[in-house]
Amino acid sequence: MGLLSILRKLKSTPDQEVRILLLGLDNGGKTTLLKQLASEDISHITPTQGFNIKSVQSQGFKLNVWDIGGQRKIRPYWRNYFENTDVLIYVIDSADRKRFEETGQELAELLDEEKLSGVPVLIFANKQDLLTAAPASEIAEGLNLHTIRDRMWQIQSCSALTGEGIQEGMNWVCKSVNSKKK
Amino acid sequence: MLGYIWQYVYTSFLRYWLKWLVRQVTGKCELQRICSGCKPGVTRTSKAEYSLRSSKSKVLRGAVDADKNKLEPCVDRIMEEKSIKPQKDPLFKENLHTCLLQITGYSSLFVSVEELRKEVFDSENHEHEVMLLKLWDLLMPNVKLESRITKQWGDIGFQGDDPKTDFRGMGMLGLINLVFFSDNYTEEARQVLSHANHPKLGYSYAIVGINLTEMAYSLMKSGALKPHFYNTVQGAPELKDFHQLYCYLAYEFDKFWVAEEPESIMHFNQYREKFHNIVKTHLQEPDVSLTLTVCSKN
Repeated sequence: MGLLSILRKLKSTPDQEVRILLLGLDNGGKTTLLKQLASEDISHITPTQGFNIKSVQSQGFKLNVWDIGGQRKIRPYWRNYFENTDVLIYVIDSADRKRFEETGQELAELLDEEKLSGVPVLIFANKQDLLTAAPASEIAEGLNLHTIRDRMWQIQSCSALTGEGIQEGMNWVCKSVNSKKK
Repeated sequence: MLGYIWQYVYTSFLRYWLKWLVRQVTGKCELQRICSGCKPGVTRTSKAEYSLRSSKSKVLRGAVDADKNKLEPCVDRIMEEKSIKPQKDPLFKENLHTCLLQITGYSSLFVSVEELRKEVFDSENHEHEVMLLKLWDLLMPNVKLESRITKQWGDIGFQGDDPKTDFRGMGMLGLINLVFFSDNYTEEARQVLSHANHPKLGYSYAIVGINLTEMAYSLMKSGALKPHFYNTVQGAPELKDFHQLYCYLAYEFDKFWVAEEPESIMHFNQYREKFHNIVKTHLQEPDVSLTLTVCSKN
């Protein structure tokens, strides 16, 4: 209900379709996030082979969310899904410090992609429910997010498990879609 | 709408009147007719389960949730309640007992499956670690694992350097299924792995395996596997029966995948759904038995 009410508040043309691409390393929490958005059970999620897609319908918005598997072997396929993306959501496991460098490299490569140029990016600093999670500010600094000049961006700390922070993030996604369309 | 009204009228009144009428004519109660008239397996056990669950008597309704070790006195009470004389229907007791073992066994098997699923893979747990390394040795007998955290895990289809995160939603159930298949059907498992490592038609062996554990788990949870277990296990099904079902899925999915020749691994979920529907269709057949038919070591 939360997401729905936020979307209701935003004025937009009826049935506006929004294509959202959900990327990030494996075990980042993309599928859990997707299922949270669709209010589905998140208790027995398995690694994503290929991709999942869900449409979250709401007044004036149809969010088509593409959740693409994050394992190294299938990252080369990511580019097949770039076309017509309205917003990129990049999910980071904030507790997996060993792979911050790897996740930073993947993000940097995505931001260099021609097909994604100018596409707003939301970075979810996920797994904030874990004690070892790095705060969003630390991640933002590590990833040099402040150097992004060619697009709107936002970092949002969240926990896909508890749902905390997701609404705020999706709120930003909808706002960025609106301001882009204007 | 008419269907709903009919169903309501039937289950609330007609069914009881009919049962009473048939009982007067044949001199046998519904359970007796089921136990002597239906062939053993899903037909008999499902009918008995429905009859017990929709009974007006507490004794009968309670039987489907009874403890495994208290089933005999439970059958005795049912016979008392229904005034069934053992002399007149000597096979009834044993037949109903078997049905009840299957019915209650299914529920308790799900409890055990759920416990294993909830057991998180823990690197600090020696047993868990041993099992993971055993999986490697069974599948890759000629290659030594260089270290516990290594890219080599990708060769048997884990996502990253450390398989532990891949077990997430399925917990130890996922690992136990993978090991059971490799241990009891070693040749078949290696054959499936070689298909999975095909450069074009390949898929990630281990995580697809974990995904199939999820399929088995969900089918179990929804009750869809009842026909399979009622047909293949004459008594209470055990964990090994669940693992055997997993072996069937792992082997059959691979056959299906190879035959379908999907464009790429990115289409996995679409083919998974297709395979899932095939399995569900099989489960509707009265003589369903999802058994892997190759020579097992056991």
